[in-house]
Amino acid sequence: MLLAVIRREGIDIPALCDHPAIEPAGNCRLCMVEITKEGWGGRTKYVTSCLYPVEDGLIVSTHTPQLIEIRKTILDLLLARSPNSEVIQKMAEEYGIYKTSYETIPDGDNCIACYACTRICETLGKNAISAVLRGHDKKIGPPFDEPPPDCIGCLACAHICPTGVIKWHDKDNIRTIWNKDFELISCRLCGKKIITRDFADYLIEQRNIPKDYFDTCDDCKRVELAAKMGGIVNQVEEAAS
Amino acid sequence: MMTFRLEINPALCTGCRTCELACAFTHTKNQKPGRSRIYPIAYAPDKYVPVTCLQCDDPACVKSCMFDALRRNEQTGAIERDMERCVKCGACVAACPFGCALMDDVHDEIVKCDLCGGDPACARFCPTKALEYKRIA
Repeated sequence: MLLAVIRREGIDIPALCDHPAIEPAGNCRLCMVEITKEGWGGRTKYVTSCLYPVEDGLIVSTHTPQLIEIRKTILDLLLARSPNSEVIQKMAEEYGIYKTSYETIPDGDNCIACYACTRICETLGKNAISAVLRGHDKKIGPPFDEPPPDCIGCLACAHICPTGVIKWHDKDNIRTIWNKDFELISCRLCGKKIITRDFADYLIEQRNIPKDYFDTCDDCKRVELAAKMGGIVNQVEEAAS
Repeated sequence: MMTFRLEINPALCTGCRTCELACAFTHTKNQKPGRSRIYPIAYAPDKYVPVTCLQCDDPACVKSCMFDALRRNEQTGAIERDMERCVKCGACVAACPFGCALMDDVHDEIVKCDLCGGDPACARFCPTKALEYKRIA
């Protein structure tokens, strides 16, 4: 897509909902560029570069006065929706917007409805979360606000969220996200928490990874590997002497 | 086809930890050993194994990655991570049977040996040749 080429060429345009691991959706609208072609008789078109395929002879402008105006408007609107999001504040400041000119949502949750979280969940084949309710009440969440049965607690949604809205917490050996509690696997040697049991089961089933890979933490696995290799060295030395 | 391999010979390792410093500095321009991708571990008093990613033939980390962020570089033989695609879910960290993929919480990235793109600093600086980057085919 066009955005990848713009990034490759080192041209800085803002984008929030684009991530190489997921399908582009053009939801944040920030990566808007102006395109034209020789045969178009001077007419131009504004497109979201994350969704526009690259083609021969395409003339792309990224920083025309109109585009900067468009980006300012989008950032202004995003800032109205997410006044407390540091990422959006920073982006807006780069375009000279320090305070939104629109009315802000009083109890806004900083979600810009870019659907990066639902798209990554879809990539995983889980589809545990989606847009729920419609109109003003539209938000991202599990169906009926109940703990989503398909969620495996991998935190991919929380990590990919550009504004960091999705909250989770680990307490003792319980991880809570989307109102669902998950059991965290503890290392059999040191007790360090590894990943959720459901996530491990998913990897064991879908990715054919042996079950016993998940019962020890990385620190203890390294010590075990050192001991194993050390054992071989000792054997070789004994055989030589 | 993999043509190079980092060979670890623990019998020659003196535990000087030069590899750790070389690795940390090469990757992060920071000499803190905590930022290293190679971990000299004592398995007996004064006997060390420089543990690092073994670049397995059938790598669990690659299999576990749901977003195709880990791939083998056929030239160097290293399994390299694509930080752009990575969402830091920690599947590779949990799946690696040798614990050689790490989550760096401070810098928010997955830390894993990439053989320095074909010229591993650990092997270059190892004074006793306990680490050697060798052509195998």
